[in-house]
Amino acid sequence: MSTQHVVTMLPGEGTGPEICEAVRLVIDASGVNIKWDYEDIGLDCLEKYGTLLPDKTIQNIAKNRVALKGPTTTPIGTGHKSANVTLRKVFDLYANVRPAKLIPVLKRPWDKIDIINFRENTEDSYAAIEHMVSDEVAQCLKVITWPGSYRIADFAFKWAKANGRKKIYCVHKANIMKMTDGLFLDAFKEVAKKYPDIESGDIIVDNCCMQLVRNPAQFDCLVLPNLYGDILTDLCAGLVGGLGFAPGANVGDGCAIFEAVHGSAPKYAGMKKVNPSAVLVSGIMMLRWLKEEAAAARIEKAMFAVLDERKHVTYDVGGTAKTDEYAQAIVDKMHANA
Amino acid sequence: MPTFTEIAKATKQKREIKLVGVDMYIITDKGIPKFDDIGPFKCEFISNRGTKVWPGFVSPDLLQVNWYRCRFMATKDVQDADINTFLDALTKKGWWWSAAQKLWNYDGEAGFSKAY
Repeated sequence: MSTQHVVTMLPGEGTGPEICEAVRLVIDASGVNIKWDYEDIGLDCLEKYGTLLPDKTIQNIAKNRVALKGPTTTPIGTGHKSANVTLRKVFDLYANVRPAKLIPVLKRPWDKIDIINFRENTEDSYAAIEHMVSDEVAQCLKVITWPGSYRIADFAFKWAKANGRKKIYCVHKANIMKMTDGLFLDAFKEVAKKYPDIESGDIIVDNCCMQLVRNPAQFDCLVLPNLYGDILTDLCAGLVGGLGFAPGANVGDGCAIFEAVHGSAPKYAGMKKVNPSAVLVSGIMMLRWLKEEAAAARIEKAMFAVLDERKHVTYDVGGTAKTDEYAQAIVDKMHANA
Repeated sequence: MPTFTEIAKATKQKREIKLVGVDMYIITDKGIPKFDDIGPFKCEFISNRGTKVWPGFVSPDLLQVNWYRCRFMATKDVQDADINTFLDALTKKGWWWSAAQKLWNYDGEAGFSKAY
């Protein structure tokens, strides 16, 4: 019997529960031994617990140290703290790893995109330090620290080295924000000295956006402060086909939460209509983090095969399959490949 | 014909402003500060890099730098002069601080964010 992993499952709300059930079906069929520990998160918790992220959920993740999360929604302007941001802060999940890779079945105008974004996940203007400093002036502090900048760069270089990547660029606006982005860039350059085998450089964020849409193939790995990372990772997701296939990992020292980056699509809740691929690909990232490469590769191969055949795919990629039918097709393909 | 700037400035509405506390940015290498009440000000929470580190659960993994935001809320009606007295008392207790930000309510609504 293989090693049993205990994973916190956070189905979220809206279409989250049906997506997570489909993903669980696939992962459980891959041969990996996972005990799923279900916990609540999101809007449905508000009435029950008065918060989007109950303490019980936090304690469970603290115990298991790994979670797979479905989509959640943060209400705008209600004063409720985002469950996603709270999770990142409470567990100091400082590395948001967002791969953007072309999926063959999605026809895009580029031949190659294979970018790994490493977004710093805990600082910058996300430090939630905002004040109305007069009755007509609002201020938000952009907090960049040396250790926070150093460790995301170190994480990225180490990851790149372990995965055979060749080039890392730091994305910044240090020509204008000389203290904050300047510190981020200085830390990156300091870390780069430890990895002479990996080409490194830097690029100003606005130029990076233009270069990404003109010639995305030139980029390999990008390291970004939180806000630029938030924006550019979605831009990269758009380049490869949208958020429906965009996985994400939020990783700290010894704890990781894997999640799709799309919303909970509440209007489709219960219809089993939506594509679970983003959570599934996040699950594949999780399996690799758990060192279950064989299971990850089995799912990946089967998923691409099902997408290529187009017989059992969801509406967003031109099919009519339900969420669970698509998942079952992947399971069947894994069995056929065995 | 008024300019856009003049039109914009004319939209300003009178708001009732009330002092309710002060955020202190404390520099210390000795870990999370602890405070007794200082005059009419009581420490409500302390955050580091925007993450609440007191009171409540703190992940042992959490990176903390030597700069803490310490929110002190007034326990009774206070004036600007009370802030001056508070700052003096805090300094005399040996706390080194980089900045103080007064906290105001505007028409009864907080003009400041909470910590995560």
